[in-house]
Amino acid sequence: MIPEILAALFFGLLLLGLHRKVVARIQKRPGPPVWQEFLHAAKFFWKQTWVPKTASSLMFVGIVLVGIGIWVAALLVVIAGGNILIIFGIYMLQKIVEHGFGLSSGSPYGKFGGVRSVISAASEIPLFVSVAAIALFTHSLALQDIVAYQAVHGPLLLIVPPAAFAMFLVLLSKMPGGPFSVVEGKELVSGYKTEHFGFFRAGLYVCDGLKTTVLLWTFVLVFIGGLPTAGFIIVMVILMIILSFTCALTPMLTPFDSVTLQTLVTGAMLVYVGCIAAMGVPG
Amino acid sequence: MIAVGGEPFYYLEFGDIVLYFSPVTTTLFVLALLFTLFVLASRPERQVDIAFGSDAYLAKVITPGELHFRKFMATACGLASMGAMVTGDVFDFTLFASLVGITNIGIVAAVKNRHVQNAAYQYGLVSLSATVPLFSGAAMVAATTGTLSLIELAKGTYPAVPLAVKSFLVLGIIGEGMAPFYAAKAEMFRAPGAPYVIMCSLSSLLIFLRVVEIAMTM
Repeated sequence: MIPEILAALFFGLLLLGLHRKVVARIQKRPGPPVWQEFLHAAKFFWKQTWVPKTASSLMFVGIVLVGIGIWVAALLVVIAGGNILIIFGIYMLQKIVEHGFGLSSGSPYGKFGGVRSVISAASEIPLFVSVAAIALFTHSLALQDIVAYQAVHGPLLLIVPPAAFAMFLVLLSKMPGGPFSVVEGKELVSGYKTEHFGFFRAGLYVCDGLKTTVLLWTFVLVFIGGLPTAGFIIVMVILMIILSFTCALTPMLTPFDSVTLQTLVTGAMLVYVGCIAAMGVPG
Repeated sequence: MIAVGGEPFYYLEFGDIVLYFSPVTTTLFVLALLFTLFVLASRPERQVDIAFGSDAYLAKVITPGELHFRKFMATACGLASMGAMVTGDVFDFTLFASLVGITNIGIVAAVKNRHVQNAAYQYGLVSLSATVPLFSGAAMVAATTGTLSLIELAKGTYPAVPLAVKSFLVLGIIGEGMAPFYAAKAEMFRAPGAPYVIMCSLSSLLIFLRVVEIAMTM
């Protein structure tokens, strides 16, 4: 299992590097090399590390391990074709982890990052509407059943495109520099990450790498279906480029606007799912 | 009928009270347990606030009395969350959810700060109001199906639970601590004490995940 975890981590960091490169090119900058995030992670492993005097020490250190642990668990669930409710639950738990990062340090910057993270939990609501739409068709939330359904009926991307859009918004909310990235606004220094440096920051890069791979992989599995390994890699790279374009071409919203927009999308999705449920699902 | 949480692999019976462990409920239970252990073992942060209008900053210190009370409330919140994750009974779930609401208020109300106590009071009103749809939702489940057992309801042999009843349950859970009331909770973050306030968010997240599973299972 270790090779799979390392491969997912490496690929996730490369995708984040690709994201930075694409955004830079759109802004007519050369941008960092694609492997820059990987270099950052490696560098921070060897940097000096300490725990701030104001921190809740155990939480400050432990939350890094929890962050890595939940995304490793999510990766294993994806590999095993497990339940997407677990994966989405872990995604939502990431908010608690971010909250923990911010609060445990005692720093006001970290704390505001954590508070924004909790407020931006509104972005998770569209995700659950996606789950309901998927369940109406597949009658199961196990990834292997969803993939099997698509092998017979075609990709869910074409069957329930609004659900795919809602999930895309969720992916977008996790992208650095995206319209919903209020958690990492520059006015908060580095937001919830501000006080975690050195080895702990390297742990954060590990979280980000795994998270990126897991979320994109889940999106492909749920809305496109089973593919050969090369197919997965190509589709995930294309998806990342689409996300990068969206991030580069949209302004970062204020926390209020971000939550309002996501709430409106949620309302529209609820109406959509209600209509599907009322009309009945074919097959 | 949808096997939302996966097949249960272990049942723990206390008379007619049955707890069950499926992949989803076990995952949520373990997360609640993990953070409860964190709360028990952690010492609180010393929150630093910037003093506006000067270049000074203030470090808040938690008194031992406040620390013990908040640790007790956060631990109770963790235990209630664990119970809500694995219970196989709709009524027990609503009881655990309301206990989560009460302990969340307790975690915050222990802080002797006017803004924080105002937030706790307002949250208390919301939480109190939410018990009406929460418990009436459970009562209507019993009225429409004749059982409150999730294990029985998951078999699909009982009449379907009306959408309105499920909505009552979800509405009750939202009132007990979920978004959009999250935003109101931001006021609570004036309260120092990292591991304790996190339990408010974690418990809300977990009971929301569980009510989604329950609503889709019924």
